Amino acid sequence: MKPIAGIAAVAGVGVRQHRRGASPLPERGVLVRAIIDACEDAGFDPARIDGFASYGDDRNEPVRLMSDLGTRELTWSSQVFGGGGGGIAGAIGQAVGAIATGQAKAVIVFRALVQDNSGRLSAAVMAHHLNGHMMAAGLVAPAQVCAIRAQRMFEHHGVPKSAVEAFVEAAYYHGARNPEAVAYGKDFDVEAYRSARWISEPFRLLDCSRENDGAGALLIVSAEEARDLRRPPVHILGVAQGAAAGWGDLLENDADDQYASAGFRSVARQLWAQTGLTPADIDVAQVYENFSAQGVASLIDHGFCDYETVGEFCRFENLIAPGGKLPVNTAGGNLAQGFIHGIGMPIEAVRQLRGESANPVPGARTCLLAGGPGAPIVSSAIFGTAETV
Amino acid sequence: MSSAGEIWSTGADGPYWDGLADGRLMLPRCSGCGHWHWPAVWRCAACGSWDHEWQQIEPAGQVYSWTRNWHPFGGLESLQLPFVIGVVSLEAAGGARLMGLVEEAAGPVKIGAPVTGTFTTTVHAGRPVPAIHWRTT
Repeated sequence: MKPIAGIAAVAGVGVRQHRRGASPLPERGVLVRAIIDACEDAGFDPARIDGFASYGDDRNEPVRLMSDLGTRELTWSSQVFGGGGGGIAGAIGQAVGAIATGQAKAVIVFRALVQDNSGRLSAAVMAHHLNGHMMAAGLVAPAQVCAIRAQRMFEHHGVPKSAVEAFVEAAYYHGARNPEAVAYGKDFDVEAYRSARWISEPFRLLDCSRENDGAGALLIVSAEEARDLRRPPVHILGVAQGAAAGWGDLLENDADDQYASAGFRSVARQLWAQTGLTPADIDVAQVYENFSAQGVASLIDHGFCDYETVGEFCRFENLIAPGGKLPVNTAGGNLAQGFIHGIGMPIEAVRQLRGESANPVPGARTCLLAGGPGAPIVSSAIFGTAETV
Repeated sequence: MSSAGEIWSTGADGPYWDGLADGRLMLPRCSGCGHWHWPAVWRCAACGSWDHEWQQIEPAGQVYSWTRNWHPFGGLESLQLPFVIGVVSLEAAGGARLMGLVEEAAGPVKIGAPVTGTFTTTVHAGRPVPAIHWRTT
């Protein structure tokens, strides 16, 4: 089997983020901006883009982008199944596969979301999953679905609330120091976090990511071509998507030992096997958190800690740049940087490994991207600097 | 498939909805190997059988997990806030779990709490959906 590392690299990134409901352009217009940003970042002619991949039921069919981009020939486009953010790394994996097999030479992985065009993300995600069993139970929102899993993680598995609080505090710490973040310049008030209004127990308001309008794009080309472009290439070392038996859209009947997880058991195993890396080899992590507890569950699933050690591992000083054992969500994450269905997470992974993060981790060579947790299909990826390939 | 099944079904679970309409909890068991399948399946992946016996189960179980909902999510205007949503495991059906609203009749809900169910409807987005409502005992 040909290793994934060395096939493809991220050559450029672009993102446009606005307050929800305040986008200056409709969805496709913002997306075109973000794609052009990514091309300018890389010094790459947008007309040469020949492939596209997305996730989460994105409604911007790539063929409709061709006129604005000047696309000479569209040779490949694809989207990962699922309505949530579970497919975010999977879309990157599809791009790597397309490049490896010659189906495309320059792929944009994107996600665009403008409320006036696509409505509320939470409603769109649930429309993908909602059925009579859920309606009958009053279970209609992602916050509730994730809350029930989180409750069992706390009450049955004994994960301390302090672990989740530290995870949230780290995100806000980074966001407060990132000029592009919604939380920029705002000190995190732990008492305000603890007394914020309940959404669905155990989640209070600041446990929940809140949607932004905007679009993000990553330009992915062959590792060889990336070396000749403007920016240092950020290589894709490994990427996996999927679900283990006993996980999925199972009406809350997931296997007992997976129910309170974030669903990454099989994906994490694949990722470590592909790369030969272990959690100890990861310098920094972007951990998609739709809700706070799912981010911590994701760290557990990927093997950074377990139910016994999570309280010790997830301490604030361990989770922050520059010196934490595993700085997480160094731009602020979905909670504090902004939430365009998670596309900011791989973009921060790239910036971090180029040394451009607002909260740099000095000498970072590897960055984990853990995709949307708790989704029926989840995915993760590991990015690396040139010296890791 | 019944009319209820056509409206609410996720696929192979039509008899579940028929049962609720008749005031009975019906769950499927593989005719080939006896495995309880929930969500319902057409084919038993354990033994390859395509035949299932739908058996009547007493609506009694234990809370597997829960959330107390405080936010006015759309479609649930008929429910008074806060309300508790539970996942209830049914020993009598091989541990199959059902979701449902839980009334805290015997103290605050917690994992492991015994509950019993009654057959009713939940109004979602103005439409009554057949439901089991649970209460702690």
